[in-house]
Amino acid sequence: MGENIFLNIASWIRGLLDSIGVPLLASDIIMMIVKASAIIVFISLNVIWLVLMERKISAYIQCRIGPNRVGPKGTLQTVADVIKLMTKEFLIPRSADKVIYLLAPLVVFAPPTLAFAVVPWGDGMAAIDMGIGVFYLIAVTSLSTIIFWMGAWGSGNKYSLVGGMRVVAQMVSYELPLVLALLGVIMITGTLNMSEIVEAQKNVWFIFTQPLAFLIYFIAGVSEANRTPFDLVEAESEIIAGPYTEYSGMGYAMFMLTEYASVLVISIMCTIMFLGGWLAPFGWTFLPSWFWFFLKVYVMIFLFMWIRWTYPRIRVDQLMGFGWKVLVPLSLANIFVTGIGMYVYRSIGW
Amino acid sequence: MFGKGLIKGLQITWREMLAQKVTVQYPDEQIPLPDRYHGRFELDADKCIACMLCANACPNKVIQIERTRVGKKQYLTKYVMRIEYCMFCGLCVESCNQDALRFSKVFNMNQYFRSRVRLTLADRPAPAEEPAEEAGSEQEAKKKAPAPKKPAGAGSEAAAGKS
Amino acid sequence: MAIQTQTYFLNLGPQHPSTHGVFRVILELDGEVVVRAIPVPGYLHRGVEKLAEARTYTQVIPYTDRLDYLANMLMNWGYVEAVEKLMGIEVPERAQYIRVIVGELSRIASHLMAIGSYAGDIGGLTGFLYTFRDRERILDLFEMLTGSRMTVSYFRIGGVADDLPEGFIPLLQKFLADLPGLCDEYDGLITGNEIFQARTKFVGVIPPEKAINYSLSGPNLRGSGVNFDLRKNRPYGIYDRFDFEVPLGKNGDCFDRFVCRMKEMRQSARIIQQALDGLPEGPIQAKVPKVIKPPVGEAYTEIESSKGIFGCYVVSDGSNKPYRVHFRRPSFINLGCLAELCVGWKIADVIAILGSLDIVLGEVDC
Repeated sequence: MGENIFLNIASWIRGLLDSIGVPLLASDIIMMIVKASAIIVFISLNVIWLVLMERKISAYIQCRIGPNRVGPKGTLQTVADVIKLMTKEFLIPRSADKVIYLLAPLVVFAPPTLAFAVVPWGDGMAAIDMGIGVFYLIAVTSLSTIIFWMGAWGSGNKYSLVGGMRVVAQMVSYELPLVLALLGVIMITGTLNMSEIVEAQKNVWFIFTQPLAFLIYFIAGVSEANRTPFDLVEAESEIIAGPYTEYSGMGYAMFMLTEYASVLVISIMCTIMFLGGWLAPFGWTFLPSWFWFFLKVYVMIFLFMWIRWTYPRIRVDQLMGFGWKVLVPLSLANIFVTGIGMYVYRSIGW
Repeated sequence: MFGKGLIKGLQITWREMLAQKVTVQYPDEQIPLPDRYHGRFELDADKCIACMLCANACPNKVIQIERTRVGKKQYLTKYVMRIEYCMFCGLCVESCNQDALRFSKVFNMNQYFRSRVRLTLADRPAPAEEPAEEAGSEQEAKKKAPAPKKPAGAGSEAAAGKS
Repeated sequence: MAIQTQTYFLNLGPQHPSTHGVFRVILELDGEVVVRAIPVPGYLHRGVEKLAEARTYTQVIPYTDRLDYLANMLMNWGYVEAVEKLMGIEVPERAQYIRVIVGELSRIASHLMAIGSYAGDIGGLTGFLYTFRDRERILDLFEMLTGSRMTVSYFRIGGVADDLPEGFIPLLQKFLADLPGLCDEYDGLITGNEIFQARTKFVGVIPPEKAINYSLSGPNLRGSGVNFDLRKNRPYGIYDRFDFEVPLGKNGDCFDRFVCRMKEMRQSARIIQQALDGLPEGPIQAKVPKVIKPPVGEAYTEIESSKGIFGCYVVSDGSNKPYRVHFRRPSFINLGCLAELCVGWKIADVIAILGSLDIVLGEVDC
């Protein structure tokens, strides 16, 4: 039931366009626009939901109830907050570099949005089934470093500057174990196409064959998404809000929403690379593939939030030390072990 | 083993997540206040003998009392508390021998304007059965005005109000 | 060799989330490393000592609540103790016991706040909420006893304001029974966490000699391993009757100071339990004249507050108002070593060191 609901909608739109005699190129373009807007709507809805979810989970962990006034059970709280932030004044500090300062919140949402293009939401449900999907995704997500740095530099604030320096140092050094962890999976599957990687997990998910890679990827992912215990970029108790210190109103909201979008990206990557993507566990295929996909993604997001509201924050030198002295060697070792394993398996002809 | 503390922390937060919540949804439900709660002041003006003990006990000179002599007794005409300066320490209530001044459980004393914060607990004319007596007391009040701690301006104000 | 870069100044505070109030530190930084730290207190100065000169002896008590508003009962106690010494008043037994009970409760409340906000400073906000939740129970007890949650004004010269109300002792017993479990929870969530330990162990080390030279007191001194607790070394009130231990640290780092507070809460619970068991019947107020006029003279007393040695110096000129009142505020004196401690550490460590000293700005600025 509902297995092909999105595919059916897509083919219905395409059929409609064909039937009214739209040329093929135009219908392709229209389909792209439909898919892009669907992705943007999807991200926005998800992010709005994630903000609420984070607040609810943090409240429940902290013996509170959390937002419960706006809308039924507080579900419209984030909507109200976004409206509030939109109506607030966008302050520009006198010492700010205006162009960069204003540009950063405009473009900050782009990298996560771009990343969603190649994500296979369900069986055959990628907007673009790209042959180098994993590579594209890693490349695109690492762009956000520059945008955070833009915001930090443009603010003309020392707290922002410190936060910006931390962004660059942290993201650059955690990009490495992140990619190296994925390399183990890619070595086994021999492809960079996400759909094929998911298909390759038909028998066993890679979390079981590559547990170390999963752990490294998860830790590096927490760091990439700037979440506790690696939320040095914001580090509320040290540098106020890092790069976002001077931003107000919608500018701040964009940064905040991006943070959740990147959590979503990391969780989706985890799901695809290690948790079998849309594949149903135990052959429970009575639920549609996209349902399983979202269930896994949300389990990962819950894990992120659970960790965030339990752990304190690590220090900046410890963060770098941990990244370079622990995660990178471990991920290299993982690649080495994976290679040996593959060689052994191949030689015994498995 | 490294990581044991991390797992323990996750266990604790998981347990708390499922536990009973402690917050109270304020306007809908309220925690019962204890009997000794320091809320808004209440004055039983009939019990008050205008002895000025509370006004003198106050560290911040919050209490302003106006009184006139009716017969042989002091009679309270006006009792104003400048709540904006009050620390709610309870020394005035403690000093009251007549049990006239008390704390209530009203804690909602917010006002939009500073001028409205001031709390007038009693504002009543002196009983005027004996005009001659009253006239005498008025003079006396004027004479006395500087002597009691507070109402230097208040005494003349009362006189002005009466004439 | 590292590349030499220009240092810059970062103004930390007075409006900063984790300076525990309106405290300002001017940091000279080389990258993220502190080259020089200049603490600037004084943003919460209200002139309590001067105000006291225009108040009668009893009227000063509400102002002492506002010194260390987290350990308000102990602040009351410190002042009242000095006036009693000046007048030579013998405090009745029951009042003494009640003082110990509420004083130690206040200490627990203060330490709960200290460890909770320290967890928040390190980045784990959940620990802060847990300690706040449990501190609330102490405040509820205070509200029941005095009518106020924080500005209690409970002590009076020669005794206490009110007797324990009905239902106070069962609630207190329940809290004491729960406290070890709650402490275990904090230990599991905060103390045992490896990240927390990595952040605090061997950070901001104060060697014992330096701690003594800086005149530190309270958990900051004991965290360095110096066994000095006024309740043991120079017992005031009835502290000589109770059996308790003085927890000590080893290294004198942030972690030891934190753990000292953690352990002190359990010891305070022990003291309260003993005081409750030995609580006698009787008056709660000594025979004190209505208008308090101490003889001409001066008195200085010290008590062990939750932050350290809280001293009070009262000079009387024979009138009903003190001629001079001076408070030795432990937070202020403990803060003296901050500038030296911060040098060479990172911004995050400045927050960790400041948090571990456990200052209350109401007391620092007085």
